[in-house]
Amino acid sequence: MALMPKRVKWRKSQRGKIRGFASKGNAVSFGEYGLQCLGSGWITARQIEAGRIAATHYLHREGKVYIRLFPHKPVSSKPLETRMGKGKGDPEFWVACVREGQVLFEIGGVEEDVARTALLRVAHKMPYRCRFVRRRHGL
Amino acid sequence: MENMILKGDRRDSTGTRLSRLLRKDGKLPVVIYGHGEAPESISLLQREVVVALKRGSRTMEIDVAGKKTQYLIKSVQYDHLNETPIHLDLTRFDLTEKVQVRVGIELKGIPIGLSDGGVLDQLMADLEIECLVTNIPDTLHPLVTQLGIDDVLRVKDIELPEGVIALADPEDRVATVKVLAIHDEPEEVESDEEGDDAQLPERIGRQAKDEGEGEAKS
Repeated sequence: MALMPKRVKWRKSQRGKIRGFASKGNAVSFGEYGLQCLGSGWITARQIEAGRIAATHYLHREGKVYIRLFPHKPVSSKPLETRMGKGKGDPEFWVACVREGQVLFEIGGVEEDVARTALLRVAHKMPYRCRFVRRRHGL
Repeated sequence: MENMILKGDRRDSTGTRLSRLLRKDGKLPVVIYGHGEAPESISLLQREVVVALKRGSRTMEIDVAGKKTQYLIKSVQYDHLNETPIHLDLTRFDLTEKVQVRVGIELKGIPIGLSDGGVLDQLMADLEIECLVTNIPDTLHPLVTQLGIDDVLRVKDIELPEGVIALADPEDRVATVKVLAIHDEPEEVESDEEGDDAQLPERIGRQAKDEGEGEAKS
């Protein structure tokens, strides 16, 4: 089941713009290794779920996978063959807005080569270029 | 810990724009403060700072206008990719005074609990310690080989070098080995019967508002 909020204040949202780079959430904070996004834009709940499945299936319940993003934003669309007007369409899917530098997934409790392969599989499910990063110890 | 001698240039102007210009020239804006003296703004060559940080230096000897002084690295700011340093905070220190710094924790060994299906979880990435500048360890390497399932490594269990005191609560957890809860992944169920509304989240305050409107209309 793809991620989506349990409760929302407003059913539909405007598209918005994603400006700048990630100023928070850009460091590995929970696990030992992470996957950092090198693009800015939307990542859908389905893509996040595909990434989670790719990582957990590869790890065989070894290690721990952390998902560092959540699809808070509903995206609406009009049904096919509908005339324009008559108000905004219904929410179709949910997306997470990410900015360049954000850490998307983290893995802890496994060796580096295992984490690297697992995160490479996750990266294939992501719509933007990603890179493997390690946790910084000390300065 | 290795000390490097870096050549610094004093800068009179500060601010975002000038800092950006400095970075374009391959320099790094640095501020020096502490010991009740006025703060100084200098710039260092970025590549030299990167080398110093990679070597694990905690102190830097900086030559400004022929005057060499040693400073302690207080904090480093990195860019959005958490890769390149963009600003450095240095503090003045005395070799006889104790300083408070954060030191990284790298767990060493493979816990025995891993063979029983456990997963090692590091809960604390760095530890705040107090010691003389000359005694600052590069990284702490606590052994976790004895950790079984549900065992916890606490701050008090970490063996610190002589003259080093941990400032964190001794009972704080550093690492643990635990068995992950097994969740059988549910198959994707098509919810045609329930309709699209079943996929929509609950709306905060919507029901109360609707009722209020209904009452007003009636």
